[in-house]
Amino acid sequence: MSMATRVRSIAGWQITLGVALLALGFLIAAQLRSEAPRVSYASNERVPLVETAQGLQTQQDALKQRLLDLRAEIEGAESQGKGSAAAVQALDDRLRQARVEAGLTALEGPGVVLQLRDSTNTVPPGDNPTDYLVSARDIRTVVEELWLAGAEAVAVNGERVTSATAIIDIGGSVLLNAAYLSPPYQLSAIGPSDLFDQVNGSASFRDFIRTRIEAFGLQVGFAEPKDVLIPAYAGTINLRYARPVTPAPSEGP
Amino acid sequence: MRKRNSQLTIAAVTLLLGLLVVVQLRSQSIGTGLEALSAQDLTVLVANLNTRNDQLRAEIATTERELADLQGAHSRGESSVDQLRLDLARVRAWTGLDAVTGTGIRVSVDGMIAGAGVQDLLNELHNAGAEALVVADVRVVPGTVVAGPAGGLSVENTALPNGFEVTAIGNPATLTGSLTRAGGIVAQLAATYPEVQITVVPVDVVEIPATSRDLLPAHGTPKL
Repeated sequence: MSMATRVRSIAGWQITLGVALLALGFLIAAQLRSEAPRVSYASNERVPLVETAQGLQTQQDALKQRLLDLRAEIEGAESQGKGSAAAVQALDDRLRQARVEAGLTALEGPGVVLQLRDSTNTVPPGDNPTDYLVSARDIRTVVEELWLAGAEAVAVNGERVTSATAIIDIGGSVLLNAAYLSPPYQLSAIGPSDLFDQVNGSASFRDFIRTRIEAFGLQVGFAEPKDVLIPAYAGTINLRYARPVTPAPSEGP
Repeated sequence: MRKRNSQLTIAAVTLLLGLLVVVQLRSQSIGTGLEALSAQDLTVLVANLNTRNDQLRAEIATTERELADLQGAHSRGESSVDQLRLDLARVRAWTGLDAVTGTGIRVSVDGMIAGAGVQDLLNELHNAGAEALVVADVRVVPGTVVAGPAGGLSVENTALPNGFEVTAIGNPATLTGSLTRAGGIVAQLAATYPEVQITVVPVDVVEIPATSRDLLPAHGTPKL
């Protein structure tokens, strides 16, 4: 049997099966490898907690997406009212603007992206190991520097910093808007063309570089992409205790 | 018969393949940091995630109701002015574009404190659920930073004296408890700035002004 005949005699399904089995082999290997580190704590109390946290995080992602979709639908429904009455149109325009001001709309524009990473230095005996990790205070410092330099929108790992945002430590990671973020942290900001220079030239930022980056080996990186995208805030804006002092604004200018 | 068998084999293998792809993707999407957290941190994380998810569910329910009302009004040929007005008031109040009133607390800070200390206090107030904050008479909105060394504080280009107040709207008991608990922010600030006096007083009604800051982006464009 010639080589060509032999190749032709291999049915299509055999090739498909061959490819599928090969992929299967790779996946089993990858799965086993990724399972390996978890064996180390398989017997301790954290397993159910880790699983619960993962489940809640997945739920949160779905809930955030649902909220963003609903807000987009509302905006769509509101603009359908356009032309029906001048009052509706004026209110709709004001609402659209307020949402942009609130951070409920994604923003795109020139800016910078800063990345903060934990130190890879060996912690000397007697030193506090947490000093070698990026803390919530570090992230807040850089966010504050970005604001002071003229940033008009900031997000950390895709979570928008809003009027109500808290950034707190949890282990070696942080919670921002009560969303769990782990390093490396990418701080994206939209602002004037000299945003990067303003941050870099600030005395307090140089202090931060000296006392945190240089002293403990935390890593900082900069990029100035052509366009920075800051996602919309996907969280609650419900007020339970605060109410407007003035009655609801009128539709007039 | 042979063809049927081969089809069954391929079906079985691709099914297994699909399952493995899903399992693999799921296990890779898990945050790498979770494994490093202690049981105590994980408990705090779970509590935080639960709270945020409950808030999101409530917000989704409200938004679904709003959408239904809006669509109902449209289908009946009615104007949606009332709905829009409510929504506008809510967004503007939350953002800091309008003055708000409600129960809350007043935090008096007396002494030389650095900007970072005041920012830590504001962060803790946000974390405790403050819905609106004002430092002296400057409403805290995105971009508001209390900066400067102790004795040389400024906020939004206005100098801040060594004695000033931070006012917050929210649940007075929760806010007070969160600030003054053992090891809380007041204790931490007292350790860092021993000469600074911080007092927290619950207040029945406080009023917080609107921001004077322009929050409309000048460089970015909204992406709808």
